[in-house]
Amino acid sequence: MTQKTFTRDADNLGQVYQFAEDLMTADNIGDDVKFPIHLALEELFINLVKYNTDGTHDIEVEIDTSDGAVSVSLTDRDVEGYDVTRARDVDIKATLKERRPGGLGLHLVQQMVDTLEYDYRDRRSRIRFTKKPGNRDV
Amino acid sequence: MFEISYSDDGNVVCQGRLDAAQSDKAEAFFEGIGARTTLDFSQLEYISSAGLAILLKTQKRLSGSGAALKIINVNKHIFDIFRYSGFTAIFDIETE
Repeated sequence: MTQKTFTRDADNLGQVYQFAEDLMTADNIGDDVKFPIHLALEELFINLVKYNTDGTHDIEVEIDTSDGAVSVSLTDRDVEGYDVTRARDVDIKATLKERRPGGLGLHLVQQMVDTLEYDYRDRRSRIRFTKKPGNRDV
Repeated sequence: MFEISYSDDGNVVCQGRLDAAQSDKAEAFFEGIGARTTLDFSQLEYISSAGLAILLKTQKRLSGSGAALKIINVNKHIFDIFRYSGFTAIFDIETE
């Protein structure tokens, strides 16, 4: 498990990406796992930045790669809870006229990772997700 | 890194990673599109919900004048994102 902290700023997304990319490349993780991991990491990191604007602590990212699989956890401290595993109210069959931009991020995360867990206690949010090779078609 | 520009044949070529950190740059360009346009995604590696929101916003705006975006050379991973988002029903999309 390798850990790094990032200040809560959307402009740090490039650093978050590079941290994950370097670890996954070093362990020969395939694109079918890398892509959903990068997507979930971005959507969840941005979510923490956007919806916990009063937060002052850095966001902690831990990544573990093993046998082609990747496990990631994001920890945010002294924040309000927000359960990212809750079902999203997204109608992907709506017509173009009915659709509104936004709201797809967590829906995509839920579709693309294998497991997604949320734990909130003592004002600490911890999100953990995993992706293994060969699971689903992404 | 994300780059966007017009090619000689009038298509819009997107390159790199269209993520939340690049969405302002992308949105500024897309706001200048006012007619039926083909987006060439052959060099686009990645897109997240921030990029999807810009595509949807542009498609809705263009539909008001009977125009639309067409997206070509979409890689497998981005196509899966489109499929999970329901974009395959509201955009004309061609895969690589």
